[in-house]
Amino acid sequence: MKYFVKVNGREHEVVIDEHSDELRVEVDGQVLDISYQEVDSLGQVAMNADGMAHAVSLDGDANSCHVVMAGYSYEIELEDERERAAHAAERESSGGGVVKSVMPGVVLELLVEVGDEVAERGPLLILEAMKMQNEIDSPSASRVTAVHVSKGEAVSAGQPLVTLEPLESAD
Amino acid sequence: MFKRILIANRGEIALRIIRSAREMGMQSVAVYSEFDNYALHTRMADIAVPLGGQLPSESYLSIEKILQAANDTGAEAIHPGYGFLAENAEFARRVIEAGLAWIGPPPESIIAMGDKIESRRIMSAAKVPVVPGLTDPVDDFDAAIKAAEGIGYPIAIKASAGGGGKGIRIVQKPEDMEAAFRAASGEAVSAFGDGRLYLERYLDRPRHIEIQILFDGQGNGVHLYERECSVQRRHQKLLEECPSIVIDEELRAQMGEVALRAGRAVGYVGAGTVEFLYSHGEFFFLEMNTRLQVEHPVTEMVTGIDLVREQLRIAAGESLGYEQAEIPRNGWSIEVRINAEDPSTGFLPSTGKIGNLRLPGGPWVRVDSGMFRGMEVGLNYDPMLAKLVVWAPTRDMAVARMIRALQELHVGGVRTGAPAALAVLKHPDFLSGDFDTGLLATMEFGVTDEAEERLAAVAAVIHRRQLAKRSALAASAGAREGWVKRSRNSVSNFSSAPIFEGSEG
Repeated sequence: MKYFVKVNGREHEVVIDEHSDELRVEVDGQVLDISYQEVDSLGQVAMNADGMAHAVSLDGDANSCHVVMAGYSYEIELEDERERAAHAAERESSGGGVVKSVMPGVVLELLVEVGDEVAERGPLLILEAMKMQNEIDSPSASRVTAVHVSKGEAVSAGQPLVTLEPLESAD
Repeated sequence: MFKRILIANRGEIALRIIRSAREMGMQSVAVYSEFDNYALHTRMADIAVPLGGQLPSESYLSIEKILQAANDTGAEAIHPGYGFLAENAEFARRVIEAGLAWIGPPPESIIAMGDKIESRRIMSAAKVPVVPGLTDPVDDFDAAIKAAEGIGYPIAIKASAGGGGKGIRIVQKPEDMEAAFRAASGEAVSAFGDGRLYLERYLDRPRHIEIQILFDGQGNGVHLYERECSVQRRHQKLLEECPSIVIDEELRAQMGEVALRAGRAVGYVGAGTVEFLYSHGEFFFLEMNTRLQVEHPVTEMVTGIDLVREQLRIAAGESLGYEQAEIPRNGWSIEVRINAEDPSTGFLPSTGKIGNLRLPGGPWVRVDSGMFRGMEVGLNYDPMLAKLVVWAPTRDMAVARMIRALQELHVGGVRTGAPAALAVLKHPDFLSGDFDTGLLATMEFGVTDEAEERLAAVAAVIHRRQLAKRSALAASAGAREGWVKRSRNSVSNFSSAPIFEGSEG
């Protein structure tokens, strides 16, 4: 089975075949000799790759998880081939994207309205969390097609804030 | 000496105080909010008193409830920790009026240093160098633009009642004054309920260097050298060192002397910190923190002096009993604050439940933390989960030890700032010592090694397959699962939170 794994924004391909309790693992075309053992039910894993030991800490679900190894943090999104095809079709039909809140907070100020054009990294709104004011920026040059929150509203993590439609590039 | 003290705080600092008190044969009284029923400080103290309430104002900020708890438990003294009521002169006064010992400076010292404008005036009078700027608040951005001409750009706009980096804005040119002034004022009002702002020169490549001081009630004072706190973002410190790589013997003695002069000017008693901005060989008074600081452990590691113990001795009326020349300064110490935040998203706060936990160990590694497996990390309190502290004979060895310790740390369920600290510890400017308070802002986080990413990808895929297998088995195990859960619930009243937190999570 083939998986598309986005790690901290960079995509890697993992192919795994399982024969009884033997794993055959290929990453980005490279075969790795892997053993994987769960230490507990809390996400600690003892992994061995090509003879090198790695203490892995892991939490999350089938489509997104977070891995810690040797002090570094890896934010992971995964899809298998079937899911990839389905998601591609979805993206095709909807276009643009929804900017979601990555943390709980309060909308202190809305800086855009429907129809506004914003530059890449242009401010969309100010979200206050932990008594700090955080500017939420547009990931790309876009037009605002919907604003899902109002000033003063408390939002939770993952709640949609603004929907954007990408602008055609100038050239 | 006291037999029983009350700690008006929570988290790692409450534990820190409990530990010293216990070593000195004193009992500790913890107080706790509704969120903290299972918090470590309530379990490690000798007596735990529920304050009730969810808001800080109903619990850790409630002077009435805390004084009542002290009265009910027969505590003889109150330690405020840091944050909450630590720099609240009214609280200090009420504690003293209730006939209890206040483990902190006199209320008058807190008041004098608490207002940034007032403290600048007192410091100038005591010949403590201050940053060029105004001591009076400015009314609006027009007045600010006029005043800025006399001070010189870049200008720092600061909140009169400020602290913790809130309400501070840097302005490079007059055109930017209006927007910055408005933002700073808004933040100051929401954080402190006081929108007054003042202006000062923003120094070129400044470093934040602070001096730890100790005064007993008999007028004896010593300084415990400096701490280097320049690794910070938005004025929130990430990593601290003792000593500082830019301070030589002469400057150290000079800064120490000035810090003691600052303390004397406000009649200081107890442990305090005088913060300086250091720029090209000059140093200027920034502010004084009239309490124990978060980063006090690096001073303890290098001097061998237990600062909480000294606070308790001083509050009980003992004299220091040692002179400046007797204070050891041995080796190098580094502290990293482990916050629940995500460096790859600009340090946005991270929340969740701590699933697994592996704390670092080994020689000369100290962990001060109120964190435990099963702890909910929310937005109710400060996001600091732990302080990781190391000591080594030299700076290079301390850096290597801290990297090693950070690599051992696993906190599952929330993101932490550990990867950012690792990046700092490997940054050439940090290693050479040529850095300032702007270092963190220039760095990019979340960039990882491709080979390591592949391993993480493999782990994630196998994890997914294990999850799938388990859910495939779940149908046949369903009935049994329900029975197990009911039986667990029946005993969960006794053990819903673990009693011991081993280093293996």
